[in-house]
Amino acid sequence: MKILVIEDEKELAKSIVEYLAEEQYLCEVAATFREAMDKIDIFNYDCILLDITLPDGNGLKILEELKNDNKQDGVIIISAKHALDDKIKGLQLGADDYLTKPFHLSELTARIYSIIRRKQFNNANIIKQEELEIDLLAKTVTVNNAVLNLTKKEFDLLIYFIGNKNRVLSKSTLAEHLSGDFADMLDNHDFVYAHVKNLKKKLSDAGCAPYIKTIYGTGYIWKGKG
Amino acid sequence: MKKNLLQKSLKQLTVFAFIVFALSIPSYFLLVDWIWLKELDENNHLTAERIENEFNEQHISEEKLAESITFWNEIQPVSKIESARQPLSQDSLYTIRRQNTYAKKEAIDRFRGLKTNIRINNRNYVLVVETNVEETEETVAYIALVTLGFFLILVIGFWILNRRLSQKLWRPFRDTLQQLKSFQLHSQEKIRFQETDIIEFTELNATLDKLLQHNIATYQSQKEFTENASHELQTPLAVLKNQLDLLLQSADLTEKQYHIAEAMNKALIRSSRINKNLLLLAKIENSQFDHSTLIRFDNLVLHSVDALQAHFKEKNISLHTDIQQEVEVKANAGLAEVLINNLIVNAIRHTAPGCDCTIVLSATGFELSNSGQKALDPDLLFKRFSRMSADNSGSGLGLSIVWEICRLHHWSIKYKFENKQHIFSVQL
Repeated sequence: MKILVIEDEKELAKSIVEYLAEEQYLCEVAATFREAMDKIDIFNYDCILLDITLPDGNGLKILEELKNDNKQDGVIIISAKHALDDKIKGLQLGADDYLTKPFHLSELTARIYSIIRRKQFNNANIIKQEELEIDLLAKTVTVNNAVLNLTKKEFDLLIYFIGNKNRVLSKSTLAEHLSGDFADMLDNHDFVYAHVKNLKKKLSDAGCAPYIKTIYGTGYIWKGKG
Repeated sequence: MKKNLLQKSLKQLTVFAFIVFALSIPSYFLLVDWIWLKELDENNHLTAERIENEFNEQHISEEKLAESITFWNEIQPVSKIESARQPLSQDSLYTIRRQNTYAKKEAIDRFRGLKTNIRINNRNYVLVVETNVEETEETVAYIALVTLGFFLILVIGFWILNRRLSQKLWRPFRDTLQQLKSFQLHSQEKIRFQETDIIEFTELNATLDKLLQHNIATYQSQKEFTENASHELQTPLAVLKNQLDLLLQSADLTEKQYHIAEAMNKALIRSSRINKNLLLLAKIENSQFDHSTLIRFDNLVLHSVDALQAHFKEKNISLHTDIQQEVEVKANAGLAEVLINNLIVNAIRHTAPGCDCTIVLSATGFELSNSGQKALDPDLLFKRFSRMSADNSGSGLGLSIVWEICRLHHWSIKYKFENKQHIFSVQL
């Protein structure tokens, strides 16, 4: 899997590459608009992380270029602007997702995971994890071919865990992911605890191995094969 | 009562003109009367001289003279010649009011008289000559009448001139005023004032232009500052967050170190939120949002309620909703969503477990009520960073953002505490 990180902030690009490298992703970095355009012309990527505020050009132009060339690369816009206009414009231009800085690397990984699955398997979008089968499009989960009923939040959480296999996920990170738009005022960590507990219980009741483990007392980790 | 500038000056001018004209009446009268009397005195002297000469040229005898004087006195009732042993030491001038002997009807008139010495045939006589003078009252009345006439002409003239001036002279001023009235800082439209040859207005326009340019420049730089601050702060925060994420993944992390990292993570998440909210506030304040799109408010409310259902359940809050359908308002959809979310989340946060929360949407307003113990200070409620509860995990900006969103959309938000219920109502 090849990922292009278009980001002018060196430290940020470095940490993204370091985090993603552990997921067996092959990362390349472009720090400027020109560099990015050069790379896009020559190579194909599974996913492009695009910072739209670059020193020598607007990242949205890169999106337009990709669209004109009919490239199938998945694009996640990462922006510090938090401007609604940019978000709408970006998604209209064919970006697959939009993340506002600052974000958690686990959040980014989960999104990259979903996009790559979606792009690669098109309609048959199924993740298999031993006895677990997840249909990303239908949003259904089966354990040993038996359908597992999960709430929207629990399904969301499951995908997040699967997208961050063998990673330590802290409670506050999960809380931020789960509360999404409402994170501004809901800072309830018991909420995370309750949801993880429910998910764990449902999975084990269905006969699933205990993949979710508690670590360091308050964190969680999904232990499983890559 | 408000008057325009020219009306004000017109009033002052009129009062001044009235005073001047009023003072002029006695002055004119005294002047005219003085000239009048002087002329009459001269005339009386001439008459006296003429009479003296006429008698002397006759060269008549003493008896004949006495007879002539008696006869003369009879036909000249206003004049009189009397023989005098001693000549008067000096002439006397006087003014009397008496019956006019020539007048057909009863009338008292004013007379100017001269009593002087004449010599006829070398004998001393005293001659009295009297001439009718116009009466004081009549003179005053005529002068006053004429003056009033002129005064009226002056006032009417002022009024007409004023109207023409205010139309012509003040046109550039009114044009400037109109331009200023329609000026909107965020519309980016430049103002072009009308050219004028009046120094004051040219100066005014130049000053206003300078002021506006400065304002526009400040506004621009403020807007840029918002964006820059956003970029400049978000990026280091992102670096920090990502480095912490990496730290959490290191294999040799001890539990103690994990907890330190997690504490930092929490603080970092909060500071990023505060930063995002501050930027949102700044952007709303700078009116950087278009709020003229017609949106379905009910859908937004339903969506938020749906998304937050789990949180209500988790806190065991019984939620009652009464949401009218097809409520359309002109607003910014993103901001309206933030408003609804912030209010609902606020209610969830501050409602004790097991209590009630009610959400009502009608065509005219959005109302949210939740159980509570005591009323909150409505003055502090919407202030930035003024927390009402001991729970300080929020950004402290949620309700300030709600307030600013309402202000931008010209909605009014009210808080009241009734029947142990906190009620927030937004008048759409």
